[in-house]
Amino acid sequence: MQQTTGAIPTCRSQAWPALVAKLNSLGLSLPILACLAVLAMAPLFVSDEYTLRLLVISLYFGSLAMTFDFTGGYINAVNFGFAAFVGLGAYAAALVAIHTALGAWAGLLAGALLTGLIGFFTGLLTLPLRGIYVSLMSWFVGMTLMALATAMEGVTRGARGLIVPPIYENATTTAYLYILLGMFLVVYIILRLILRSPVGLAFRAIGQNYDAAQASGVNPTRYKLLNFTISSACAGLFGGFYAHYVGIVTPDVMSMGYTLEVMALSFIGGSGSLLGGVFAAFLLIPLFDSLKRLTEFRLILYGLLLILVMIFYPAGLAGLYQTAIQKINLKRRKS
Amino acid sequence: MDPNTAANLLLTGLLRGGLYALMAVGLALVFGVMNICHFAHGEYYVLGAYAAYFAFVTYGLDPISSIIIASLLSFVAGVITDRLLFAPLRKRSKGDWVINAFLLTAGLSVVLQNVYRQVFGMRYRGITSYWDASVQILGLTVSADRVIAFGIALLAIAAMWIFLQKTRTGRAIRGVSQDEQGALLVGINLSSIHTLTFGLGSMLAGLGGASLLSLSPAYPYGGTKPLIASWFVVTIAGLGNVQGAVIAGFIVGLFESVSYFFLGQGWQEVASLALLILLLLFKPTGLFGTQIKSVWER
Amino acid sequence: MLSVTNLQAGYGQLQVLWDVSLDVAQGEFVALIGPNGAGKTTTLRAIAGLIPGRGGQVTFLGQLTTGRPPYLISRTGLIFITEELNLFEAMTVRDNLLLGAYSSTDSKKNRLNLEQVFELFPILEARQKQLAGTLSGGERRMLAIGRGMMAEPRLLMVDEPSLGLAPKVVIDVFNALKALHGLGVTLLLVEQNVNHTLQIADKAYVMEQGRIVLQGSSDELLKNKYLSETYLGRR
Repeated sequence: MQQTTGAIPTCRSQAWPALVAKLNSLGLSLPILACLAVLAMAPLFVSDEYTLRLLVISLYFGSLAMTFDFTGGYINAVNFGFAAFVGLGAYAAALVAIHTALGAWAGLLAGALLTGLIGFFTGLLTLPLRGIYVSLMSWFVGMTLMALATAMEGVTRGARGLIVPPIYENATTTAYLYILLGMFLVVYIILRLILRSPVGLAFRAIGQNYDAAQASGVNPTRYKLLNFTISSACAGLFGGFYAHYVGIVTPDVMSMGYTLEVMALSFIGGSGSLLGGVFAAFLLIPLFDSLKRLTEFRLILYGLLLILVMIFYPAGLAGLYQTAIQKINLKRRKS
Repeated sequence: MDPNTAANLLLTGLLRGGLYALMAVGLALVFGVMNICHFAHGEYYVLGAYAAYFAFVTYGLDPISSIIIASLLSFVAGVITDRLLFAPLRKRSKGDWVINAFLLTAGLSVVLQNVYRQVFGMRYRGITSYWDASVQILGLTVSADRVIAFGIALLAIAAMWIFLQKTRTGRAIRGVSQDEQGALLVGINLSSIHTLTFGLGSMLAGLGGASLLSLSPAYPYGGTKPLIASWFVVTIAGLGNVQGAVIAGFIVGLFESVSYFFLGQGWQEVASLALLILLLLFKPTGLFGTQIKSVWER
Repeated sequence: MLSVTNLQAGYGQLQVLWDVSLDVAQGEFVALIGPNGAGKTTTLRAIAGLIPGRGGQVTFLGQLTTGRPPYLISRTGLIFITEELNLFEAMTVRDNLLLGAYSSTDSKKNRLNLEQVFELFPILEARQKQLAGTLSGGERRMLAIGRGMMAEPRLLMVDEPSLGLAPKVVIDVFNALKALHGLGVTLLLVEQNVNHTLQIADKAYVMEQGRIVLQGSSDELLKNKYLSETYLGRR
């Protein structure tokens, strides 16, 4: 995405490019804005409840993939316990909604804060570790969270689960879609801005070559912790949304299967692209859903797709997109 | 605690530990030699269980033959998997091998689970027992199945040990795990060793699944628990350390047995995980791991 | 025995070897000398098949080796002992040596070869149950050479055998190489220690910046003015 310094518009004809530049700097290039607009206008043309639900789920998983990528694609730490963080946010939001009268937004906030805190501690735990050990440690932290959720029946009602009221009375699927879209937009812009700042540069340095980064004066501790905390908080936030949307939270939410799904989307979309996973989600989730009658086959295809992408095209959708853009630019230059 | 209970705990712990050790050895081998974080290990356990079930129940073979056939089938499955999936990945994926291989096994795990579901359905395929007998040990009555499964596990581990230490091919496998270029220089065909190793790892998993058929029936998602247990043990031992995996298997088995008695199912899991996290904090490379090989990092 | 013709090779975008040609006849002791970064190690690696050649060809015992996988090349008797040694650190000295004989399944022959290695390097026999990673620098070098010998090499390529070793140990290593040569093993040596090397080698090639700049018998080269001044510091 190009970044151009916007000059202060002195007359109307300069206002438009300045606006475009400002939006670009927030990570909202024209193609992305177009997609967002299509998504936002979808409920106007689609009244089919089923399709709307599909859109919500796709956006939900896309948001999770984006959050996952913030850690996996930048500081090169694959958080195997990701689903547990999402689930933690879900439980927090659920408990706030059930036991207090603070309202849904307080619950979401609580979820984000609590999960951010746990993420911070997980980051602390993984500090002396490198590579696959980070992933293993976060996996075990995730499993611990899940085991706790099952064991602390007094709080979580264990496997019976917590029933969560909707985000507000009589909320429709369309309402949920717009709420999620808003959350997604805010989180995306924040993440994008962070990545574009010197902090993001530090993330990438750590991800590429930990030792070199350290030798160059980048404090890996601080940035690792920062990254873990932020991505966990976002995961918790979306988890809170899940709690209200689905209406029931069980320990199952934290299971490895969901982490794998999010991870697959993130990598198929392209590691380090932030939005690649979102596109992958909108591509694959409706696609697999349309193979309705062959629901089990859908999971097989999912797995096969991941395998094939890993072997033949690890750069993912984002890589495809980049290659296509390059080819178009080359053609433009030639003509 | 009365001596009877203590004996019971010890016995349960040892029996569990043996099978954990078996599964962990397979996983440690695959990681140590091929640098693959194998997340489909449980699916080969299930394959062994299915194969043994059909051999024993459908074809009416005796228990030992069923278990042997199941192990061989698992070996073949492992060989096919390596040739079909990992060999092409090795050719194309030099830089991001660890994460790509892991994701491939994650995808493989999903595929296998759902293929099992498609082919065999969701029914639990179990048996009451292979041998309709029980054994008296330390004043306790234990089913013959469990004792024999334990014996098989020990036998397999011992056989693997001898194979790795004393034979030419076993030595070659160890060599590949320590220095790939060195292995090339002495004339070892890396690709063949990789295939053999994966076959062996899968065979051990299948052997575990087949031996324990009476305790854990075969069903599509039956691989998750063995997978987690294996990874647990391997992480405690130190990734890639095969000898350590055996010892750690028993330690984990005993620990689980004791903590289950005192804490019950739910909290036992928490206790195990807490222990693991503490261990990793103080010794990130595991109990027996030495330095972290740079190739394990990205 | 070994014939390298117009070899080009490199790493990624970087070309390191330019038209390198050399020959090693059976029973010869050939040295490849030159400054750091001249491409000597790259040459050996290309011959052993560890890096692909980009042009030219290498034949060993009449067979083309360029393009063949390194483990096959090793099995034809072209054994490469690298500078970093590539020992199996967590294995015993004995196991390392046994693995050196991997390409042969004749256990009787292997046992005889093992005894021969122990005769040449008695220290290895003394330490045979020790892990390779616990040996001293000189002992590791000897183990690497011993492991190479276990394969009954027709041609042994050794990369910088004296690097980092104490002078006394260097003498031991060179004596061992001389003894090997005496046993009929053809040797191709890469060395920075020009003086020592020219004393024992039959002929040498001098490499600079990826090319062969000088070649000839050791006697000729020792008298060569350029060589004396540049590498032996004589005026």
